[in-house]
Amino acid sequence: MKAAQVIMDTGAHAAALAVKSARVDVIPGYPITPQTSIMEAVAAMVENGELDARFIPVEGEHSAMAAAVAAAAAGARVFTATSANGLLYMHEVLHMASGGRLPVVMCNVNRGVFAPWTLWADHQDSFAQRDTGWIQYHCSSNQEVFNTILQAFRVAEQINIPVMVNFDGFAISHCLMPLTLPPQEDIDRFLPPHSPEWRLDPEYPSSFSNVTNASEYAPFRQMLSDDILASIPLVKQAAQEYKDITGMWDGDTIDTYRLEDAEVVAFAVNSMAAELRLSIDILREQGIKAGLLRPRLYLPFPAEDIIGALPQNAQVMVLDRNYNFGHPGGILASELKNALFGRRSDITVKNRVMGIGGIDLTRRFMAAEIRAMMDD
Amino acid sequence: MLELRINGFGGQGSVTLAHLLAQAALENGEQGQALPFFGVERRGAPVRAAVRMSPATIHAHSQCDRPDYVVVMSEKLTAAAVSEGITETGTVIINAPHAAAVGKHPTWQVDADAIAREAGLFSADGPFINIPLFGAVCRVLNIPQNIMEQTILHKWPGHNGESNLSAAGKAYSTVTRR
Repeated sequence: MKAAQVIMDTGAHAAALAVKSARVDVIPGYPITPQTSIMEAVAAMVENGELDARFIPVEGEHSAMAAAVAAAAAGARVFTATSANGLLYMHEVLHMASGGRLPVVMCNVNRGVFAPWTLWADHQDSFAQRDTGWIQYHCSSNQEVFNTILQAFRVAEQINIPVMVNFDGFAISHCLMPLTLPPQEDIDRFLPPHSPEWRLDPEYPSSFSNVTNASEYAPFRQMLSDDILASIPLVKQAAQEYKDITGMWDGDTIDTYRLEDAEVVAFAVNSMAAELRLSIDILREQGIKAGLLRPRLYLPFPAEDIIGALPQNAQVMVLDRNYNFGHPGGILASELKNALFGRRSDITVKNRVMGIGGIDLTRRFMAAEIRAMMDD
Repeated sequence: MLELRINGFGGQGSVTLAHLLAQAALENGEQGQALPFFGVERRGAPVRAAVRMSPATIHAHSQCDRPDYVVVMSEKLTAAAVSEGITETGTVIINAPHAAAVGKHPTWQVDADAIAREAGLFSADGPFINIPLFGAVCRVLNIPQNIMEQTILHKWPGHNGESNLSAAGKAYSTVTRR
């Protein structure tokens, strides 16, 4: 058996290497900072023959997703990537992918949204796509980006729902770290070739996503809603089998750190949640029983797993890198309260918004914020 | 976990220096991380990059606000670099023909400009000082010289590696504690 290979590479290149390992067939792409490095890398792989895929340069993100939808409907394994306003420009076509039950996998490299312009990470872009019917992962390390893209293809193709794999611009996308590449034969075992139950075929022309009556439309929407919830066991199974094959584990629907006896629980996603492990250690040294709960899945929101994991009487400090406009605070806090309402009256939820537009979130700053939130 | 910040000007090769140091950590059997700060900077504007090394998995993803080591690519940046943050006992590694200690900080000095020019590592824009600085930082961090050489040859296999090896080696042996 071949051994895994360890290289140094960026989060963006980790994504490109996962696309290559997944043997993707079609990649429509349009550049936007900080995602561009992914598209540059996969375009080069196609050009030099490392990846046997069709790269389609398009004139904008709306077209990138339209091409992804068409290629997926023709039975191809499809990948694309975007950031911030590119994702917002795709919004309409995201619904076509999910409503059409097309298993597209897309990386969104999180970046604050215009206006005013910013280049750096916050989570407004991905959370703003909550109601598009996409499954959403959020990753906190380069390795998790690689691992999650492979898991995302598997889940997407099992349940015919598109999956968005999110990670922070620059803090992950341009961060050079060790990356373990499992042998290709192991990846092939984990992710078999895509064999859709149906596909558009020019030899036997048929139409797809036609106008429906309400009596037909409503059941389609109900099925999508039900199946998104039904993806949770598939997400867990994908994480477990990926671990069995490669030995690597990033959590399944959630990831936890020093949570078992925690009285104070930090709750956050993406790279800040990695740094929070160090904040938890600082707080523990100060005598505070702190722990971390990081949802890997934002959608479907893993309510049952969160409810099951939170220690009795915990104070949960939700650190949101986004705004829930119209409410004081952020979107994760709102989702968490929704999950806990009527289920865990012993839990207190506190919330602060921070790190907007890439403001640096250090371990010491977040530890101090959590301490201050104990008095909020 | 060892934390290091590079303060330089755009065009001096800070990103490549950060990548080389992170790679050297891996070659040395540790974990490494290079996290340059990318802004809308132009050639000549102040830039910075974070580097971390640790025997264990690195979870930090912030810029280094209180590093153990600060690499100053140009004397003109000394005051700004130190005021951006450094631990009380933090070490400064500075590119200068001559240098005095920076405050109470242990200070190492290397003439990266002269070493790069001598090795033929320069263009119309100036010398490639990141190569000698890589050698100097490896020496200060006690990274063995053969690991330093291995890292350079990993990045520039073959003929290109030769002049880089000689410049980095010269800096490794001449970087001096002030």
